[in-house]
Amino acid sequence: MGVVMPLNAETAQAKIQRVVNEDSTDIALFVRSSQDDMLGWNRQRIVDALLRETFIDRDTAEKISKDIEVTIQAGKVKTITGPLIREMVNAKLLEMGLEEARRMHTRLGVPLYDVDQLLVQHNKENANVPHGPEATNLTLAEGIKKEYALLHVFTPDVADAHLSGDLHLHDLGFIDRPYCSGQSLEYIKKFGLNLPHALSMAKPAKHAEVLLAHMVKFAASLQSHFAGAIGWDAINLFYAPYLEELDDNGVKQLAQMMIYEFSQQAVARGGQAIFSDVNIYWEVPKHFEDVPAIGPGGEYTGKTYREYEKQAQRFAWALFEVYKEGDAAGRPFFFPKPLVHITEKFFKTDGHMDFLHHICEVASVKGNTYFVFDRGDTAKISECCRLSFKLEASDIEDAKKPWKMRYSALQNITINLPRLAFKAQGDDTKLFQLLTEKLQLAAKAHSQKKKFIERLMSLGKGGPLSLLAMDLDGEPYLKLHKCSFLIGMVGLNELIRVHLGQELHDSDASIKFGLKVIAHMNIVCNKLAESMGMKFVLEQTPAESTAFRFAKLDLAHFNEAAEKVVQGNREKGEVYYSNSTLFNVGATMSPIARVEKEGLFHPLIEAGSITHIWLGEAQPDKEALASFVINVFKYTQNDQIAFSPEFTACLACGKTSRGLSETCPYCESKEVDGITRITGYFTKISSWNKGKLGELHDRYRNIDRFNN
Amino acid sequence: MSAGIPPIKGFLETSFIDWPGKLCAILFVGGCNFRCPFCHNHPLVLAPEGMETIPFAEIMSRLAARKNWLAGICISGGEPTLSPGLPQMIARFKAEGWAIKLDTNGTRPEVLAQLLGDNLLDMVAMDVKTVLEQEKYARCAGGAVDLGAIRESIDLLRESGIPHEFRMTIAPSLHTEEDIVAWTQQFDRSRSRLTLQNFNPRTTLDVRYEKEPGFAPEIFSRLSALIA
Repeated sequence: MGVVMPLNAETAQAKIQRVVNEDSTDIALFVRSSQDDMLGWNRQRIVDALLRETFIDRDTAEKISKDIEVTIQAGKVKTITGPLIREMVNAKLLEMGLEEARRMHTRLGVPLYDVDQLLVQHNKENANVPHGPEATNLTLAEGIKKEYALLHVFTPDVADAHLSGDLHLHDLGFIDRPYCSGQSLEYIKKFGLNLPHALSMAKPAKHAEVLLAHMVKFAASLQSHFAGAIGWDAINLFYAPYLEELDDNGVKQLAQMMIYEFSQQAVARGGQAIFSDVNIYWEVPKHFEDVPAIGPGGEYTGKTYREYEKQAQRFAWALFEVYKEGDAAGRPFFFPKPLVHITEKFFKTDGHMDFLHHICEVASVKGNTYFVFDRGDTAKISECCRLSFKLEASDIEDAKKPWKMRYSALQNITINLPRLAFKAQGDDTKLFQLLTEKLQLAAKAHSQKKKFIERLMSLGKGGPLSLLAMDLDGEPYLKLHKCSFLIGMVGLNELIRVHLGQELHDSDASIKFGLKVIAHMNIVCNKLAESMGMKFVLEQTPAESTAFRFAKLDLAHFNEAAEKVVQGNREKGEVYYSNSTLFNVGATMSPIARVEKEGLFHPLIEAGSITHIWLGEAQPDKEALASFVINVFKYTQNDQIAFSPEFTACLACGKTSRGLSETCPYCESKEVDGITRITGYFTKISSWNKGKLGELHDRYRNIDRFNN
Repeated sequence: MSAGIPPIKGFLETSFIDWPGKLCAILFVGGCNFRCPFCHNHPLVLAPEGMETIPFAEIMSRLAARKNWLAGICISGGEPTLSPGLPQMIARFKAEGWAIKLDTNGTRPEVLAQLLGDNLLDMVAMDVKTVLEQEKYARCAGGAVDLGAIRESIDLLRESGIPHEFRMTIAPSLHTEEDIVAWTQQFDRSRSRLTLQNFNPRTTLDVRYEKEPGFAPEIFSRLSALIA
């Protein structure tokens, strides 16, 4: 006694023994199938699989299965797994030159060693995903879906371009989801929380807190159907009809609940917080002025949104009060990201200077504020790291029924620009030709993803994307025909450096050439859009890990050329290319010059751009920041800016201090973590990939005073 | 043309922190008569001749391009009032319509008086290193100081009618809490803005100070509350 044999193991042993005894002519073999079952050897299963999954003929399939049986018999194996048999069959198919059949018959999966590593080590591809069982589930699932996408959704030329690093297909692990989604609160205000296959449905909210609960749950559901950000339009305005019953404390409480709910809801998509954005307006945007307001119970209040300006402003103010305080340890909230739209009307609205100082103080103290500049008649909704959707005439028409306003980008593809310059070897014509080819390939990849999503959507409410097929307002939630397809770029600065021998900040000539490159991308996108009937738009890819990946791959495959231009620390492997059209992060440029010069590129990049101003530990004066922001609006073409301070969070005493320090200034503990913006959002530096660490080290923080 | 213009050793086109309420440019003039052990700008103090002088014409043209953006120019150092060409330089900025803020240690009240008299200044920030006691002041400034001059500069600013601030960088090894309290009490806060800066042990003039910590954050915020 003493050792208890697991029942399964015992029966398995017995079963093998029985098989051996009963039928000595068959192979005495036990197969662990992939269906959680243990079966006796049956050659026919190989034949069935080959006929079901590939196009080979029955005789060939029979022959293969017999060959495999012989091999196994010769090896005198007692136990074998389904995956192993499949690999043996694959080897046979290759041996016979049946490569296409091998591809169709392949198995997707992960080696044992990799799974062990994965369960234990932190995956840093996305700094927003923590380490935990949900996160490793996500990584495993993503791994298989990624392989599936590269084998089955995209053609080999596209897959090869991705794998070799000519371009990067973002979120391949989310191949069965669109990329990101921006929407209106009006949808749940009008229809309640009524999601397909939900265990219960809720009528439209009657109170502000309930509306908030609906919003958060809806955002979580959306997050599990999209790969990227979930954005909300004019959030303070659409809450306004619910705020009349609340005093100032009540509004503050609601603001606090919203920010905590979004920043702590680390449950969906691998246990990450909902990557969420809230768009905020001080004024009532023109296109909503005469729109009838929806209030408690989903009923029209009898007023238009024009009449809710004061309530909307109260909420906007309270949200920023909460951002200013930070969390319980004084750290900045990572989500939801507040995007404040600075418009012509903003400056004509009472109290705008007070509000501007208020949000600038938050920018200085905690860094949260994003300043989005909508000049002239432009109206847009922004989300994700910098993505924005400009509203077109038909959207403005939709604005009369704001619940209909929702925007999605189906996929994002980034082009490795420096590599084009390595290949062009100084020849302009060649460079633009290569660029055109890559854009065509990206468009092809987009059409393949579109076809795949269409296939899933065609299964309707019974299919895997039932939430996106939901049609409470008469149209599917995902309006496929209106989706954008994003094309981004990494390393314009390094392309210029290879091609002209100078970086973007070095001369006007290099900026001019840079503009030519981006303008060319823009024109080609428009042409492709016209010929393929799909909306291809340029975006500044956030490229959190792509900027690292491209640099690494180019060092491996174009070493001699790449060595001279990759940024960062090669010895430590902390290498990167400059993001999108950004200038060298380490260049000594005044913030004015940076917003001005980087802003020259923004009008060419329709789906959104941003300029980052790294503050380091400096805590700027809020009025100085406000005058800076006003001037960015007045004197530049810059689309969006954010100021990024740095913090040290102490794990020992729980306090937060300004600047990045190796020890906590409060308790001198070395158990600290830095916090600042990685790309378009705040995270803990310990979760950053190596490329971003290299960039962090190089960032120019406008405090080095004797280095002109 | 630019003979007599002070040697400009550093220039930052955009500063969010050097002029309260304003976005400004800041330039640094080489040379100083103090040797404050905690000084972060010590190359300007100890070896300004080794630093490249930025041509005044370049500064003027870079500033002209930013006229829309900047509310003024902060002139810092080193100690700008040691340069005989300071009034001339400020006059040239003024002629272009720039507002001027001066950072000074107050050791040259006659220069300060002249600049104020000629309406060349729009804001002044004066470092008052500690309470006006010779021994303590000498320790903070790294050498003997004419406290009469310091007092005179304080009075000049107090009566100037222009916005000004008195500021002090505090370090536990140089300032007792009593010193700090006494320091704040010598000023009339309705007339003068006061600022405390916590010493930051990073690239200091006296390298021994790189190992000295500043005040702990809790203590610093308690001390800051004295002037709030």
